[in-house]
Amino acid sequence: MDFGAIEFDGELQRFRDDEVRPFLDEQLGDDVLARERHEGNGFVPAYQRALAARGWLEPWLADRPSGESLDPVRAAVLDSEQAVRVGPLFPVQGSHALVMQVVRQFGSEALKAELADGVGAGEIQACLGYTEPDCGSDAAAVRTRAVHDGDEWSITGQKMFSTGAHLCQFVMITARTNPAVAKHQGITMFLVPLDSPGIDVQGIGTLGGERTNFVYLDDVRVADRYRLGPVDQGWAIASGALAAEHGMGNASTADRRTAELRDAIASTAGWQGTLRDVLAAAERWAASTTRPDGSRVLDDPAVRVRLARIALDCTVSEFTPNPFRRVVASDVFVRDVADLVELVGPAALIPGGEDGAVEGGMIEWAHRFAQGTSIYGGTTDIQRNLIAEHVLGLPRHRAVLRR
Amino acid sequence: MESTVLRRHEASLSAEHEELRSAFSALFEKECPPERVRASEPLGFDRDLWSMLVATGVLTMSLPHGAGGDGGGLVEAALVAEQLGRRAAPVPLVEAIVASRALARADPSRIATLALHPVAVGARQLVPAGAVADVVVGLEGDELVAFASADAPTPVDNLGSAPLAWRTLSGPGVRTVLARGGEARTGFEVAVREWKVLMAAAQTGVAQGALDLAVDYANQREAFGVPIGAFQAIAHALADVAVGVEGSRHLAWRAAWCCDHEPAVAAEAALIASLHAREVANRAATVGIHVQGGFGFTLESDMQLFFRRAKGWTVVSGDAYDELLALGDLRYGTQG
Repeated sequence: MDFGAIEFDGELQRFRDDEVRPFLDEQLGDDVLARERHEGNGFVPAYQRALAARGWLEPWLADRPSGESLDPVRAAVLDSEQAVRVGPLFPVQGSHALVMQVVRQFGSEALKAELADGVGAGEIQACLGYTEPDCGSDAAAVRTRAVHDGDEWSITGQKMFSTGAHLCQFVMITARTNPAVAKHQGITMFLVPLDSPGIDVQGIGTLGGERTNFVYLDDVRVADRYRLGPVDQGWAIASGALAAEHGMGNASTADRRTAELRDAIASTAGWQGTLRDVLAAAERWAASTTRPDGSRVLDDPAVRVRLARIALDCTVSEFTPNPFRRVVASDVFVRDVADLVELVGPAALIPGGEDGAVEGGMIEWAHRFAQGTSIYGGTTDIQRNLIAEHVLGLPRHRAVLRR
Repeated sequence: MESTVLRRHEASLSAEHEELRSAFSALFEKECPPERVRASEPLGFDRDLWSMLVATGVLTMSLPHGAGGDGGGLVEAALVAEQLGRRAAPVPLVEAIVASRALARADPSRIATLALHPVAVGARQLVPAGAVADVVVGLEGDELVAFASADAPTPVDNLGSAPLAWRTLSGPGVRTVLARGGEARTGFEVAVREWKVLMAAAQTGVAQGALDLAVDYANQREAFGVPIGAFQAIAHALADVAVGVEGSRHLAWRAAWCCDHEPAVAAEAALIASLHAREVANRAATVGIHVQGGFGFTLESDMQLFFRRAKGWTVVSGDAYDELLALGDLRYGTQG
């Protein structure tokens, strides 16, 4: 047990002050971030390449035979410094990591050899393609078809919410390879090159400002080496990766070890970090705003209690372990940001850049953004199912549906 | 740009901690079934169980070596307190550990407790374990005192079947001044903080105990031809309780760890642990009653034992709203 502050000894401080911060200043300047906030691409390709060039791609993003690699503490410093600047703007970093985990575990040797250099250089990014227009939380209800044809596969269907697909090189998809068997049994996974003929990527705007995508596949020809894992056995892999995304563990040992080491450092990334940032914005507002009677807003006990309640929620989110965190972090984020909109009042409705916007419009943005956090990566309701069934040992709720 | 403080979140238990935890888990499971909890009511004290517990050395475990203890800290005490709460055990261990630490000694033959509110000289207050304690530690005026009253205390019936009694810190009896002025206030603050941390751990156990009962019931009770736990209305409510219990447990550990290792942040960590544990325990028990339906509302169900102790063991320390105000004061300074 250790909840202590990590001491920034001279070396670590030098790493942060002389290496990380100047690097981030150079790579993620105000113009880059302003554009990213406007376009909501989900990541900045040039930044990923620059990270790779510095040897700072997260250890699990690429198995590099040589070169620099960050230890968990330094990786956490980089994470937290990045989070301070960009908040949750780079979700593709997470989905790419997830895809690479599956590739490393289930990809053919030929595929791994083909990807190694590009991934290591930060030139190859991958996004997720599980969801379809009629297949969301019920992720096994895949309709996209893959048909074996000689040495290759022909894939036809629609994927949606593939954030980053318009800039990534690959999308990892689930596809139905055997429609004759039960829905969980006939699924195969593929890593599809996004420059393949027959692929059409169309943008989808979201309430949170993020651009996500439809990926249409029309007789897309994919060589067999892009298959991930055995034919018709994709559900186990997909649900394993989903479980990892849900924080249920089930990754490879090496990946889990790294993740555990990283998880052992209370992360400022994730929504609990975003809620903290929004709270800090509201606190600055309350400390610098006076009421008509001249009193400071922050001196009103009712205001202090509301803010303290949110600070409490932030800490609860941070210290509730996975797989439980996903539920509480999203729940309190949604609830607390809504309360901050009320607390700050009319000016909280004004987006950044407009006359009278509070703290760059952060609260207005966060109120919109928060709604997505209870949905993507599997809804919090799916997470509650997982907790009920796998942690508490309650019966599967689907037993009811089968009757 | 402000630098972010990175903190470790290393919540795994050492082999010793695991051993301690499982030893007391087994002890309370074996020695403190619900029948024994019921038999102790309304006083809420089982002297035989207490003697057995004292004999394990748990009281001196968390005292420094210099004070005749084993040099353990609040983390060890919190691990035991959670197991106590899980069985709603009728023993004043939280109070006795905290008071012994304030006294810097443990006398196994006498029960010491802590009066949680500062009082004017002669004023009485409702004291946890006050109905069974020989010695009450508390802040009276600007003195931190240990008072052994000559009069036997009168137990007061209460919601939580806790051994509460109205106690004073002066009057006929033996009154020892432990500290005065700033030192007294600091010593008292630390003691109350430690009580809140251990109570947060105990309430984590109360919540876990209620959740265990509710999950068992949801797996066994059938309605419409299936176990009711197959209904998401039930399963999700219980999943939310599980989320709360895990957070409560980790926050209690963290607060205990901060008390032992990083006192500068202990006050905030203790308030957060206390606030969350109180809320989660009450919710766990109310959800538990609801999941058990009509049965949960009967006295026959053991759920009521946990329900009554959720509020019954905690509100004696005061209003949770005041803890939020105190959290605000820590963050924003006292109101300007």
